[in-house]
Amino acid sequence: MRPMRFMLTVAIVASASLAAAADAPKKASSIDELAKMFDSTGCRECHQEIYTQWEKSHHARPFMGVAGGMMLTPVVTASAFKVEKPEQATLKTFPCFKCHLPQALRWAEDSVAQELAAALMANPQDKAKVAKLQITCLVCHSETAIAHRLKDGNPEPGVIYGSKEGAHDSKTHPKMKKSVTLGQSIFCGQCHGTGPNFEFDYPVQCATLYGSYQHNYLPAGGQKSCQECHMAKTKDGFADHLIAPNFDDKEATAALLAKSVHLTVDTLGYQWLRKANTYTPKIVVNTRITHDAGHRIPDG
Amino acid sequence: MVVTAKTKDGKEVGSIEKNYHPQGSSCRDEKMAYGAQNKSSYIRDTSLQPLQTKAESIEFDLPVDDKGAPTIRTVDVTVELIYEIQNPDNKFTITRVTREVTLDR
Repeated sequence: MRPMRFMLTVAIVASASLAAAADAPKKASSIDELAKMFDSTGCRECHQEIYTQWEKSHHARPFMGVAGGMMLTPVVTASAFKVEKPEQATLKTFPCFKCHLPQALRWAEDSVAQELAAALMANPQDKAKVAKLQITCLVCHSETAIAHRLKDGNPEPGVIYGSKEGAHDSKTHPKMKKSVTLGQSIFCGQCHGTGPNFEFDYPVQCATLYGSYQHNYLPAGGQKSCQECHMAKTKDGFADHLIAPNFDDKEATAALLAKSVHLTVDTLGYQWLRKANTYTPKIVVNTRITHDAGHRIPDG
Repeated sequence: MVVTAKTKDGKEVGSIEKNYHPQGSSCRDEKMAYGAQNKSSYIRDTSLQPLQTKAESIEFDLPVDDKGAPTIRTVDVTVELIYEIQNPDNKFTITRVTREVTLDR
């Protein structure tokens, strides 16, 4: 009887484990699957203005760079992370995913990286496929909404994280919970980084805004948050989800920079005397540039 | 930032360019690199820092004749602050200031 009881126990434990595995969310094995998992088009129904702002933002096209450029092409073709064939690509050969596609870290199989590499290496490139990979509403309001996961756990399925608690009029996300960090600079700092990313086998350095904010702006006495400037409330009372600048809109970006960067010019014309009777006529132009940003300019 | 001094008839007396941006490299050779995938660290940073003033004092010597007297006494100085995105060909002007500068009193 004893061996039989042991086998029964093993069988029950095994079947329970299988059931748990079956319940666990499955990782995306294709770009379409990953895009569908984080599809936020449903948000537009109630949050039209915010959605429209986001659609014009760089977060809506994190791999398209500026003016439709395919910024990942040199990563797969001419860098330390290059691959000879798309099949060689993995999540690790795309260090950019850390910030440009953070949902991939937990929810994508290597096959997503392979499909992306194939789209980038195709001739002509499959821009439509690359464009499907976005930092959508669900990436910020769910996947990256909790910074202190050791204490607060992973984001819960069906929950939208923001500034309120309560019910949320959505079939897929019927609950709202308050995110401790979403309204603070640390939230943006998760991606708009601090310095070299040493966790990769070849250290990469991308955006360092948050490092600049921490090490230069705060020590100089600045106290504004990223959100106060880049997500200021619009006339409807909600944060601006364009998260300017949009570098594809040069006119608006120039206006934004003209408003925050200040140039003072003072001049002098005179004749400099270094030794007796030997004058050098000179024009002196003294310039002083200051700005109101909470980080170095330029940075990202 | 581009600072240019020109005579009234458009002849350039001098021009100086200052570049403000963090500069990174792979740290495996002496060359600066563009692209996050190629950079491992900054090696120099001339960017505009928050709550700090970036001050420059730029001088242009005016031409003189064989007796050392200035042949040009007045120029127009233009200071143009330009933002470049990704490469020098994709740019726009943030602000432009022009001043007439003269030796005359």
